[in-house]
Amino acid sequence: MTTTATSLIVTTSPLQRRRNRGRGYKAFRAIMLVLVALTFLAPVVWMVLSSFKTNVDIYNSEAAFIFTPTLKNYDTVFGQADYVQYIWNSFFVAAVATLLSLLLAVPAAYSMSRFVMKKSAVLVLLARVIPGVSLLVPWYFVFSNLRIVGTYTPLVLSHMFVSLPLILYIMMSFFDSLPEELEEQAQVDGLTPIGAFLRITLPLSVPGIATASILSFIFSWNNFMFALVLSGASTKTLPVAIFDFVGYASIDWGGLMAAAVVVTIPIMVIALFTQKYIVSGLTAGATKG
Amino acid sequence: MSTTTGTRVRTQTSFSLWANRHRKWVLAAPAMVFVALLIAFPLGWTLYLSLTDASGSIRAPHDFIGLENYFDVLSDTDRFWPAVGRTAFFTVGAMVVEMILGMLIALLLWRPFRGQGLVRIIILLPLVATPVAVGMMWRLIFEPTIGFANQFLSWFGIPAQPWLAGEATALPTLMFVDIWQWTPMVVLILLAGLTSLSDEPDEAARVDGANAWQRFWHVTFPLVMPTFITAVLLRGIDALKTFDILYATKGKGGGSFHEVETLNVYAYGLSFDYQKYGESSTVLVIFFLMIIGCIWLLTIRRKKSSL
Amino acid sequence: MKHRSIKVVTAAVAVTVLTGGLLAGCTTAEGEEGGKQTLRVTLANHVWTDIVKDKISDFEADHEGVTVEVTQLGEDQLSDQYNVKLNAGTDEIDVMMYRPLQEGKLFAQNGYLADLSDYVTRDAAWDWNDFQEGPVEATTYEGSVVGVPIITEQQVLYYRTDVLEKLGIAVPKTLDELEAAAKQIKEQGEIAGYVGRTGVSAAVTQWSSFLFSEGGDFANKDYTKATLDTPAAKEAYELYGRLIGQYGPANVSTDMSWPDAAALFAQGQVAFYSDASSLYQNLALEENSTVWDKVGYAPFPAGPAGSVPYNVPSWALGINNDSNKKDLAFDFVEWLTSPELTLEVQEAGVPAARTSVWDNPAGTASFPPQLAEAIAIGAKTGVGYDRPRVISVAEAREIVGAPIVVAITGGDVDAAIKKAQADFQAFLDDEND
Repeated sequence: MTTTATSLIVTTSPLQRRRNRGRGYKAFRAIMLVLVALTFLAPVVWMVLSSFKTNVDIYNSEAAFIFTPTLKNYDTVFGQADYVQYIWNSFFVAAVATLLSLLLAVPAAYSMSRFVMKKSAVLVLLARVIPGVSLLVPWYFVFSNLRIVGTYTPLVLSHMFVSLPLILYIMMSFFDSLPEELEEQAQVDGLTPIGAFLRITLPLSVPGIATASILSFIFSWNNFMFALVLSGASTKTLPVAIFDFVGYASIDWGGLMAAAVVVTIPIMVIALFTQKYIVSGLTAGATKG
Repeated sequence: MSTTTGTRVRTQTSFSLWANRHRKWVLAAPAMVFVALLIAFPLGWTLYLSLTDASGSIRAPHDFIGLENYFDVLSDTDRFWPAVGRTAFFTVGAMVVEMILGMLIALLLWRPFRGQGLVRIIILLPLVATPVAVGMMWRLIFEPTIGFANQFLSWFGIPAQPWLAGEATALPTLMFVDIWQWTPMVVLILLAGLTSLSDEPDEAARVDGANAWQRFWHVTFPLVMPTFITAVLLRGIDALKTFDILYATKGKGGGSFHEVETLNVYAYGLSFDYQKYGESSTVLVIFFLMIIGCIWLLTIRRKKSSL
Repeated sequence: MKHRSIKVVTAAVAVTVLTGGLLAGCTTAEGEEGGKQTLRVTLANHVWTDIVKDKISDFEADHEGVTVEVTQLGEDQLSDQYNVKLNAGTDEIDVMMYRPLQEGKLFAQNGYLADLSDYVTRDAAWDWNDFQEGPVEATTYEGSVVGVPIITEQQVLYYRTDVLEKLGIAVPKTLDELEAAAKQIKEQGEIAGYVGRTGVSAAVTQWSSFLFSEGGDFANKDYTKATLDTPAAKEAYELYGRLIGQYGPANVSTDMSWPDAAALFAQGQVAFYSDASSLYQNLALEENSTVWDKVGYAPFPAGPAGSVPYNVPSWALGINNDSNKKDLAFDFVEWLTSPELTLEVQEAGVPAARTSVWDNPAGTASFPPQLAEAIAIGAKTGVGYDRPRVISVAEAREIVGAPIVVAITGGDVDAAIKKAQADFQAFLDDEND
């Protein structure tokens, strides 16, 4: 799997050209790189620091970096609020939505790639473009008449609506880059076209599918607007649960930051381990021109 | 083998024959039907509501009023056109900065160096972070009296800024957040484009004595242009539709002067704050057409540039 | 070869069926058969909710087979959910916590709220007459009771005891004294004089007490004529603008709701702050405030029309008109608002809507004595609303609030008032159609 993956990964330029590059440039580049890394990292560090502060320390500018860390906020998150349940909800919805989207989108992407179905692809990608606000009330209306509101089903369906076009887009460009000769050879050997797709193409697509799944999972995990309206008491997902810390007569900044950390950390850990897949997925099709 | 197995195989085969003959649609149709089902009703509903005076409750009786909403909305210089302006300002402004910064950072990361993996991981963090959590995080950082942003400025003797709370500073502050979160995406896309380039044109230009800027502007940049346009397209659609961070930081209405009210926020407020479903639908339809228009323009541009 | 591909297909089908089954398994709503019932309750994030939530198991123990399912949300998310769900005619909500003054009229007009008139008179011991008159008026629509008020708020004046003592300033009893004191403190240069909400929509409620005390109102009695350009309203706009714009913190934000304004006071940056009584724990608890032991409380200062703060029901419980368990739902509401539980809630610092708990010394024991007194005075002299009593409250608040923000930033107040008056008149004409 790793060997096939490498072909997909954007590798850095193979040529190492060092001439004409003075020390001055190197130092400048190093400083710039550190600055860039700091800019992107600092706010996240600040969020994590704040999650270990009491509200008085958060209000106190002298306690910006030196303070007595407290686990109280995490205690609030996991003790009072039902966060374990929310984590499970987020995970379940994201996983099922991703799985079902894969089942629908991978064959469709294959067909659209091989038969060059431009117009059909545009129809599915329309889903990416439509403003989410216009979907909320009609969907709720339908789902409530089907009597499935408050269950996982409307959440999964709405998240699939985000995941499916994403997977389709990534997998189409993946299949575009996969040579057809192998399938043709397999058909000469007696496989049906669908058999060739299942037996030959699909195993070769594992890296692409991995990429698409991870991204779909992340986008589903992060989704807020659909979950806000379509989730019920027992199906509330993490991004919606964050707002629990904004009460009617007080904001619990510490708890809020701890909740934000709890939402963000799992996804960041996933990102760390699957970095290469994510990059290839985000950049899918970008270099085709 | 018994005959029953034989029959089963035969029926499978005839199904298999049928499926293979129509595989184009057998494989593509389920996904398309799913998306069509989820889109068709809301789209039709929104179009219908945009032609009515529905308000208060959707179930309440409402009248068909033709294009009146469209005339009202398009002649509304109080909320609608400023919202269009803000949407354009936000999208174009954030995108220009993201493209320039993204290009610079991509160039910085292009050639290998020690610690490249680490830097790549770090710039991936904002990209995957949950937007609502990011909004909350920046809300605390930009809090005028207790936030870290003003504390940071005070180290350099710069007076405190109102950030999200100021009429003039709120939208630029949110653009900054958008830039923070999405520049990495542009970096990654451009990096992919850059690394796929062959080194020969660059070398040739170097032999001809071109300096770094000339080589970039006349050789590298035109070559990554298609990738660049793709990045603009992908980023542009999402920037136009930005909602989560606006909602998490400023809420409905977009502030005291509607200073961050984009089309998406305006439509949301019309529906959920004012209960004017007809007008809200009209704004959404117009917004949708605008997005399609922008994409159409960009795709044309992309086709031209790749010729 | 073919067998392999068939296997793959079978596997794929199996996965689909399994996942589908899993979904279906989750889909089946909680069984209603066998006398088992689920009561779906939607509540806002509030201290009140935190207290009663822990006691719900008592209710479940008393009602065999009943499960209470609580959805808890922030106030904005709550109203978004109501807007989507009630619009679609859901029966997935039975009991709903709502803001009578913000959404009450709209919900009642749309027929979302069940008529509780017969229910409230059902049990004499529960005693509907014990509920305060102002709040009850706000939960009544066209003669029918549509909600039971649970939490009340009065506007009070918070001040820094140490600052006033140091400068020898007496606790202001009138708005003129308040302005003079704020001015004196600001000129002293150490801290700001006054702070209040500044966000266009958020400020309206906290400005309303200024408006009432100056002798003004949003509109005439039957809401046919806007009265935002009367001399009283003009003076209220300008006074509020001067207090915050001139005697408030430097570079004051025009987007503050209570969290930001209360934070300024809690950090010791300002001497006077006027807002709802329900916020006192943000200022007076050691874990939230650096000045927690230096907070004083006073009734809202008097203007030409006397001290006329708002005294409003901020939250009430209603029953979804499409609920098919109205009887059980009201049992639950009745239980939540029983004299005993109400007393318990008020002892935890949440101002309640029952007269009896205010007359009971135990009911006010947990409040700082000065605050309890200020609330009691406010409840007597106050009016029962703090925002325009219209259907589309959100829109009305933005119109009414516009001149407040202009006054704070030192803009052309007269022009802003003129525009607000015209806009509000048009809004009323439209709504009265």
